[in-house]
Amino acid sequence: MTHTHDKSSALRQGVLIFVYLTVLTILEYFVAVTFNATSILVVVAVIKAALVMYYYMHIYKLNEENEGDENSYAYKTGTNRLGLWFFLLSDAFVFAGLLVMRLNLLGFTRPPLNQTLGFAVTAVLLFSSFFMNRGETAMAHGDTKGFMNNVLITFVMGLGFLLGVVMVEWRIAAEEGLIASFGNPATGPMGAVFYMMTGMHAFHVLTGLIFLFVVWNNARKGVYSAEKHWGVEAAAVYWHFVDLVWIFFYPALYLIGTLVHLD
Amino acid sequence: MRHYVTVGILVIVVTILTYAGLYSVDLLPVAASLQAGSINDVGSIDWLWNWELVVMCFLFSLIAVPMFYSFVVFRRRKGDTSDGEHMEGNTNLEIAWTVLPLILVFAFAYMGAYSLGDIRRMDLDAMSIKVRAQQFTWTFEYPEYGFFSNELHLPVDQQVVLKMTSTDVIHSFWVPEFRIKQDVVPGRITEYIVTPTLIGPYEVRCAELCGTSHYNMENAVIVESRANFDIWVAEQVAIAAAAAQTPEGQGQLLAVKNGCSGCHSVDGTRLTGPTWFGIYGADVELADGRTIVVDDAFIIESILDPKAKEVAGFSPTSMPTYATVLTEEEIANIIAYIKTLR
Amino acid sequence: MKKFLSSSLARGLVWQVIGTIVGIGLITGIRAAMGLPTTDSVFFFTEPAWVLGAFLGGLFFLSANGSVSDWFKWARGIDTPEHHEEHYKGWEKFVNVSLDHKVIGVQYTMLSLILICVGGLFALIFRTELAASELQFLTLDMKLFNQNGPQLFNTMMSLHGMLMIQGILLGVAGIINYVVPLLLGAQDMAFPRMNAFSFWLGVPGSIILLSSIVLGGFDTGWTGYPPLSARAPVGVQMFFLGVFFLGWSSILGGLNVVVTVVRVRARSMNAFRMPIFVWASVATSIITMTATQLIGLSFQLVMFQRLLGMGFFDPAKGGNPVLYQHLFWFYSHPAVYVFVLPGLGVISELLPVFARKPLFGYRWIAMSSLGIALVGFVVWAHHMFASGMNEYLRVPFMYSTLLVGVPTGVKFFSWVATIWKGKIDFHTPMLFVLGAIVVFLLGGITGPVLAAISVDLHLTDTYFIVGHFHDTIFGGFVFPFFAALYYWFPKATGRRMSETLGKIHFWIMTPSFLVLQFGMMRIGLLGMRRRIVDYDPAMGFDSTHLVLTIAGYLIGISVAIFLYNFFNSMKNGEKAEGNIWNSRSPEWQVPSPMPMHNYDQPFEVVGEPYDYGLPGSKYVEFAAATTPAKSKH
Ligand code: HEA
Ligand code: HEA
Ligand code: HEC
Ligand code: CUA
Ligand SMILES: [Cu+2]
Repeated sequence: MTHTHDKSSALRQGVLIFVYLTVLTILEYFVAVTFNATSILVVVAVIKAALVMYYYMHIYKLNEENEGDENSYAYKTGTNRLGLWFFLLSDAFVFAGLLVMRLNLLGFTRPPLNQTLGFAVTAVLLFSSFFMNRGETAMAHGDTKGFMNNVLITFVMGLGFLLGVVMVEWRIAAEEGLIASFGNPATGPMGAVFYMMTGMHAFHVLTGLIFLFVVWNNARKGVYSAEKHWGVEAAAVYWHFVDLVWIFFYPALYLIGTLVHLD
Repeated sequence: MRHYVTVGILVIVVTILTYAGLYSVDLLPVAASLQAGSINDVGSIDWLWNWELVVMCFLFSLIAVPMFYSFVVFRRRKGDTSDGEHMEGNTNLEIAWTVLPLILVFAFAYMGAYSLGDIRRMDLDAMSIKVRAQQFTWTFEYPEYGFFSNELHLPVDQQVVLKMTSTDVIHSFWVPEFRIKQDVVPGRITEYIVTPTLIGPYEVRCAELCGTSHYNMENAVIVESRANFDIWVAEQVAIAAAAAQTPEGQGQLLAVKNGCSGCHSVDGTRLTGPTWFGIYGADVELADGRTIVVDDAFIIESILDPKAKEVAGFSPTSMPTYATVLTEEEIANIIAYIKTLR
Repeated sequence: MKKFLSSSLARGLVWQVIGTIVGIGLITGIRAAMGLPTTDSVFFFTEPAWVLGAFLGGLFFLSANGSVSDWFKWARGIDTPEHHEEHYKGWEKFVNVSLDHKVIGVQYTMLSLILICVGGLFALIFRTELAASELQFLTLDMKLFNQNGPQLFNTMMSLHGMLMIQGILLGVAGIINYVVPLLLGAQDMAFPRMNAFSFWLGVPGSIILLSSIVLGGFDTGWTGYPPLSARAPVGVQMFFLGVFFLGWSSILGGLNVVVTVVRVRARSMNAFRMPIFVWASVATSIITMTATQLIGLSFQLVMFQRLLGMGFFDPAKGGNPVLYQHLFWFYSHPAVYVFVLPGLGVISELLPVFARKPLFGYRWIAMSSLGIALVGFVVWAHHMFASGMNEYLRVPFMYSTLLVGVPTGVKFFSWVATIWKGKIDFHTPMLFVLGAIVVFLLGGITGPVLAAISVDLHLTDTYFIVGHFHDTIFGGFVFPFFAALYYWFPKATGRRMSETLGKIHFWIMTPSFLVLQFGMMRIGLLGMRRRIVDYDPAMGFDSTHLVLTIAGYLIGISVAIFLYNFFNSMKNGEKAEGNIWNSRSPEWQVPSPMPMHNYDQPFEVVGEPYDYGLPGSKYVEFAAATTPAKSKH
């Protein structure tokens, strides 16, 4: 079984990880605005990613022995888990490709973006992961009500992130000239890179939201139980994955390199 | 044991025979540059190729000979329904056929790197020529002498560095006799280092798919003696100087500089585009069957929007638009030049 | 006919048309509302309209044909039965959604054969033009689908490449799907629904891909390098989209295979007792599951560049055309190992059966598959030696590329050792296996020649490359694919294909192919560029090209003979219900055609897979009683 034996210790662990992540994010921001050391940012991002993968996404569960025969729910869940992780691995290649594109095209420069907003949406996404974790823990202990409440909060925050990026940040960026720069040789493909990366990420957030809605709705119908809630686990892992991607995209877009103004 | 010895001998014999057979036909075009070299010039391309040929012949024999030997010698006799001998593997053998190829790999890689270093070596007195590729022709600029040409003339035994760029899509500069190939990429300058060693006419052929007339993107390359080269340069310089005096002369220079003459001949020969010889005032047949008289308006339209009216028998997508390149005055000069061609 | 019209396939197709219309209408409507132009002088609708149309068409196909209906049920909290019972009989099974891996395997194989035939016909058409210098029928004056001769050549040549490659990927998926669960003793793949979905993604994908030819085609080659592809007609968007769908098919399919192998194996089948083909499938699937994303991304970026003016690869906008090549080859190089690894797996799987000897050095062969796959991830830039990429990258990529020769060599040497002193039965599948070895060897040894940079600078973008890859592909995929079809056909149908026709097929195809390949290499060395519709008669290639064309036709004829044999034998072939190849493999221990749910009794692995010649040994033993199969460990 999992490392967390009872509900309260599981929740305590969730809080602890959340605090670590928050501190690291603030540290990241601080490093970026003061002495801008890319190497530190990379290290911080990797640590954050590791924390999320281990404590929120329970990557160690891949190692679990699933007792029971091939047709049991437990065994199938183990199979599904492996499938999901491979899917995420595959998806990670897209995001890695986008990062490579960003580094190749923009090098050590970064687009003029609204720092406050960037920090805000990052924080929102972080919070949403926290609540998702609480929700999943609740479900693992058979607490459907608690699960639904937490997922609802996650959903709202996720929606907030999505709207924050697509409705607000995209507009502000456009005013900064990032869309106009699509056709502008002098400024380079900064705008294109920014919209592509945030767009691909936003698309994943959107699918994550749909997924959250589906599991919420199913929980409402009483489909899940403490023993059988693979859908919930999958939605949670996927949601954390979207957060994980942002852990890298946020510094890549907002923090590293020198700022370039577009006119 | 007998089998192994026989096969060993056969492998050697077959290697030698295949190599000798391949060696006796000319596998490569003549070598016309120092970089191409010959099989005896250590570090040259042909030298590397020759060793590769040897290795290929050997590896092929090494695998194919024991296989066919086995088919013949150990073949199943009539009525035999038994299985083969039970041999699961042999660790020593397996190590051997992992390690020996590994050594071969490093040898190969060393030779490859050595050869690359050799062909990229630049002399101090290398002559520099600018190359511009466009759909579907090449333009060469001799910056030292300040003129443009659609033919690449090179003095023999003189190293040149081509500084190449493209105005539209990716092309690739290749003269098979020089061996080396280098892509020409828009937005950056790539270098091509070559030292021609054999006097003669060659062709530069574009080797990267660049659109409809990619197959036709060929210009002349002429390697000549230093003396002839100097004569040619002097001629070109004189022509340029004289031409700059008159509108039609300027038109002529523009036609070379912008690559027009890469596709339009001025003596009636057919290139990618229709010849300009005697077209002014003449009738041309369009692809849709109409006939039209070539006048100023038609030429201007052809230059600004080549797809508007297609000349029969030519590919309308070949010619790029020059709307952003040429000014009105320049077009007028080109028309003046075309008028003189009759 | 009525049965066909009510099938999943027909429903999907109808809805694909509807979806296309909806998508086109949507964009056209939006544009009209925004006051943007809504029509195009040549293709009737604007490019964004076509793109969304094609995309929605694909989605509508998938949602209408029933391959996702279970998932929609799950999303609504409704459980579905574990395994559908089949309602369909005969050919109807294959045009309806089925969750049975055997049916899906056959579906993949059929789709693959269709694509390969269409692609092959394109090759024969443009080869006819190439038979002599000057333009014969693809002239500048001719016009078809708004393309003149040379443009049509470029389109057909590019489509030939892409259709063939997709045909291979589907063919690989077909064989793997059919065979791997049988070899593992599994009832099905780990995710049967996703398996069906992966296959059905391929159908609208292929249609979209083919539709590119009527929308102006694309003259970019299968590699689609920008800036050229950013300027090509709308057809190039269909090409990108089609590959996108097919790419997802490949990704999900690969994922399924790896999970299946990890999770559902027969009792006691530990890693080094798996049949060798399973190893090859895993190695292949690791590549498809990950690297494929990068071709999707690179195509997607060009699509966006075209639709929205984002200048990723446009130097005029600060973009970098060479970046595309890196992204593209990061997939497309490993992809060539996707083509061959299963093929090499088939060779390793069948050799012991027909040589009646154990596979020599089983473990090392298994590891070499993984070795090829993994090293294959770090060699991509060898396609870019002349591209103007960073100079200092060239030498490291030469080293890594050459390194692939080592694990590949291990396979060859082991095969030779397996054949050595073997008591070979020259049945048709074995002929193709042996042909594959020789042909792939010829292709393989020309690889290091290209890897050594300075010679590649002469050979890149010539027919030498064309020769190299037809050779590796024929040796690594086409020959083994045929071997696999001849070999497992009786398993699927309970009948065998005619040996005589099979041998005729082999003896026409092999020499013609060798001629094709040597001819290509010969003219390539002498200066024949690839992707040209016409060549300079002064180069003296006319006669060789004529021979190449004839050889191409002969290959076509041999394939036609195969097709006749294939379809005819399904009905009229000689009955073959037992272990006709005298194989030790589990699937041959039960009667053919394979029972609906595979093995009625689960089996346990009790020995080595390839112990031919060891009397009394056995690979698998069927449980007498009904102990349910325990999996893993
Ligand atoms: C099935 C497909 C397949 C396979 C298996 C391979 C296998 C290899 N290929 Fe090939 N290749 C293609 C398909 C394939 N290729 C395609 C489609 C293209 C063109 C794409 C395009 O531009 O359209 C291409 C192009 C291509 C290029 C780029 C050419 C260019 O455009 O300039 C290069 C360059 O390095 C290359 C190298 C190799 C090498 C080193 C191997 C190696 O894997 C070969 C390994 C095998 C052996 C070496 C033989 C057996 C080994 C021994 C007997 C052991 C001892 C040998 C040694 C130690 C050397 N290939
Ligand atoms: C699976 C891979 C595969 C296969 C099998 C083939 C098969 C063939 N290829 Fe192809 N080829 C490629 C992959 C493949 N090719 C790729 C990737 C390219 C690069 C494209 C690019 O540059 O972008 C290429 C390019 C290429 C060129 C170079 C084009 C150029 O650069 O200008 C040539 C030229 O001769 C050629 C020829 C042939 C021929 C004659 C065959 C023959 O073997 C074909 C034989 C015919 C058939 C297999 C069809 C027979 C079927 C029937 C007769 C049945 C009847 C029909 C129905 C029932 C519908 N191919
Ligand atoms: C890559 C090839 C190419 C280049 C470069 C090119 N042209 Fe053309 N040109 C063509 C082709 C092909 C046609 C005929 C098809 C058509 O009408 O579009 C043509 C047609 C024309 C015509 C009219 C038709 C006729 O009867 O001759 C004029 C005038 C012309 N070009 C002028 C120019 C000028 C001026 C330039 C350079 C500034 C130029 N071309 C550069 C290929 C080219
Ligand atoms: Cu320029 Cu091909
Ligand atoms: Cu490659």
